Amino acid sequence: MSMLYDEGQQAIATESRRVLDARTSKDRLLKLLEQVGELDQPFWDTAVEQGWTALAIPEEHGGLGLGLVELGLVAQAAGAATAGAPFLTSGYGAVSALLGSRNAELQARWLPRLASGEALACVALAEGNAALPPSPSVIFAGGTLMGTKPAVTGGIKADIAVVWASSGGKPALVLAELAPAERRALNSYDNSRLYADLTFAGTPATVLAEGDAALALARDVLARMAVVAAHEQVGGAEALLHIARDYAVTRKAFGQLIGAFQSIKHRIAEMYGLVEVARANCIHAAASEGTAEFLIAAADARISATEAYDTNSRDCVQIHGGIGVTWELGLHLHMRRARSLAVEQGSLLFWEDLLVNQLTGEAA
Amino acid sequence: MSGLETYRAAACAFLDAMVPKYGREARTGNSVEQDLALGRAYMAAKYDAGFAGINWPVEVGGQGLTHLHKITFDAEEMQRGMPVQFFGISLGMPVPILMHYCEDKAFVKERVTKALRGEEIWCQMFSEPSGGSDLAALRTRVEPDGNGWKMNGQKIWTSWAQYCDYGVIVTRSDPTAEKHKGLTYFWIDMRAKGVEVRPIKLAGGDSHVNEVFFDDVRIEDSQRLGAVGGGFGVSLHTLMIERYIATDSGGFGPHLDEFVKLAGEVDLNGAPALRDGRVRSAIARNHAMRAGLDSITKRAFLMMQAGMQPGPEGSLQKLVAVRSRQRLSELAMDLKGNAGLAFDPHAFVKTDWGTSWLNAPTGRIAGGSDEVLLNTIAEKILGLPQDHRPDKGIPFNQIPA
Repeated sequence: MSMLYDEGQQAIATESRRVLDARTSKDRLLKLLEQVGELDQPFWDTAVEQGWTALAIPEEHGGLGLGLVELGLVAQAAGAATAGAPFLTSGYGAVSALLGSRNAELQARWLPRLASGEALACVALAEGNAALPPSPSVIFAGGTLMGTKPAVTGGIKADIAVVWASSGGKPALVLAELAPAERRALNSYDNSRLYADLTFAGTPATVLAEGDAALALARDVLARMAVVAAHEQVGGAEALLHIARDYAVTRKAFGQLIGAFQSIKHRIAEMYGLVEVARANCIHAAASEGTAEFLIAAADARISATEAYDTNSRDCVQIHGGIGVTWELGLHLHMRRARSLAVEQGSLLFWEDLLVNQLTGEAA
Repeated sequence: MSGLETYRAAACAFLDAMVPKYGREARTGNSVEQDLALGRAYMAAKYDAGFAGINWPVEVGGQGLTHLHKITFDAEEMQRGMPVQFFGISLGMPVPILMHYCEDKAFVKERVTKALRGEEIWCQMFSEPSGGSDLAALRTRVEPDGNGWKMNGQKIWTSWAQYCDYGVIVTRSDPTAEKHKGLTYFWIDMRAKGVEVRPIKLAGGDSHVNEVFFDDVRIEDSQRLGAVGGGFGVSLHTLMIERYIATDSGGFGPHLDEFVKLAGEVDLNGAPALRDGRVRSAIARNHAMRAGLDSITKRAFLMMQAGMQPGPEGSLQKLVAVRSRQRLSELAMDLKGNAGLAFDPHAFVKTDWGTSWLNAPTGRIAGGSDEVLLNTIAEKILGLPQDHRPDKGIPFNQIPA
């Protein structure tokens, strides 16, 4: 796939940005920070209405038949708006797992409902700092799950979960309906991510992949979600770049615009550099979907996007001085999101190791 | 295969045939003079094979192809370590400026041909002791002298001037005008009476840059390029000619594979260094950074192919790549420990970590220092204000020293 966006893709980028600009309310997002278990309903209604939930689902399953490039562009707009729901990424993760499973029955049951927004999905792979633990503590046996997946993104509201589990000493990727599972909502620094501990006590589940195939599929699902998240991070980092720039050309100190001081202007120029390097990696990763290079491209995108969003949120606040740390200005929405996105889908520690393993041909 | 890929294949076939005689291995151990002689022979071979002046008009001796053909060839040439360093500036800036501004077309054609064949080399004389980044602070002055000009003053950091036949130069013709407005641009004969070149030995031990002194040097008015007082504009034009050149995300230092190889070979705390978290982090961060720069380059290339103007993010390449190379070179030296203290001053920057480290500061200063590049990004791309400039709007001869 080309690394140049075509007209349709550019239209998706422009339109998603326009719609979210018009419908995002900082006040609403600030309120959500202090509420456990709530998402930003206007954002999610917009996502469904605009067909973003259907973007990367094949047409025969009720989707639009587009892919990671288009979803990435929407995620970038969502990142700029610190969108108040995590399901674009986790839904795509579940879709990827279902498509990779070749289980026609499960696909037929869930893909159309995920496309229409009728069902919500989460992906429960991580345990602590292990994004893809070699021996998951959740056990799959006799068609049911036992154990707890901690702090699953979207876990409070999802209808189904893709779960990374152990099955007879080997890994398995399974799909479970969450109605019978126990959910414990977490109070977090970024509550619209809807984190919940999911406890399974004999919860029925269906195998998507087992053994080596499970590892390959889970890693592919994680890499795809990481690329969507990286786009979201780039959107956030770019928004912070613009906020910092706009402030530096309006705020005066010592008789001049603060943007005329090199300590400020160079910091903002560095923010630009981080955004553009990460953006280029995201474009390359999305265009590499399905190729042998994809995992390395995803790692490059994820590492540079995490660095860009973390750094830009630190520096944008710093450039603002005192006003930057107020609740009302809301830069902390980005600070919080930069960290929640940095941890979800595997942190820098995980992706650095994975990338070096890939470069040197070592087993993970 | 697209037209460009066919062209790349032809370029590779030519270059591969040249490698045994002119490539990196053949050059190992050469003195500068030997390398220059080899470089001249290579340039002549390149000319004869039809790979010289790739994107220049056929009328002046070029191939009449596109900028993309040139970048394609240059990227392949750079991989093979050919002895072209003496000719990069000559053909990159002064000669194109001569082609653009000089009205004596027969003279131009002769100079272009000889420059392409490596028989003549041109230098560019901009920086002075009083200003490198601040180009318009230059003091080298010209005064009317009969029907021509007389020049006095000094330039510095002039690459390869000791081997040059001609050069382009920007001078101050009117000290009573504001600093950017009193400048005039000329070409000069480097062998003219009153021109003296003194090489400067750099920290790495080599002397590819020079001081150039001018003592009552006579210049004909026909050597003027552009209008009297229009020298700053011609200088900017010079710097803008090759905005999209073949870049190197490794910052013109060793490839990251070399670092990975080293980390796999040496032990650290009883295990391969490649198992050390600090080393792994450095590899991963550098890979992500270089991959990003490579993707920026690939996209710029695709955009030019599609007839679009590439984005301004291409301006990040040197800034980001060279300073990263500097730090990675330090880490590579740390990995070697005292086994890396032995130093070969003639080793290549692209294959030796010590040489890469020692020469990295030059890369961060020449061709726009990191600070100037950050200012350019901030002002031209992001619309941030210019720095406070106390000399703005004041006649040059009234600026406080």
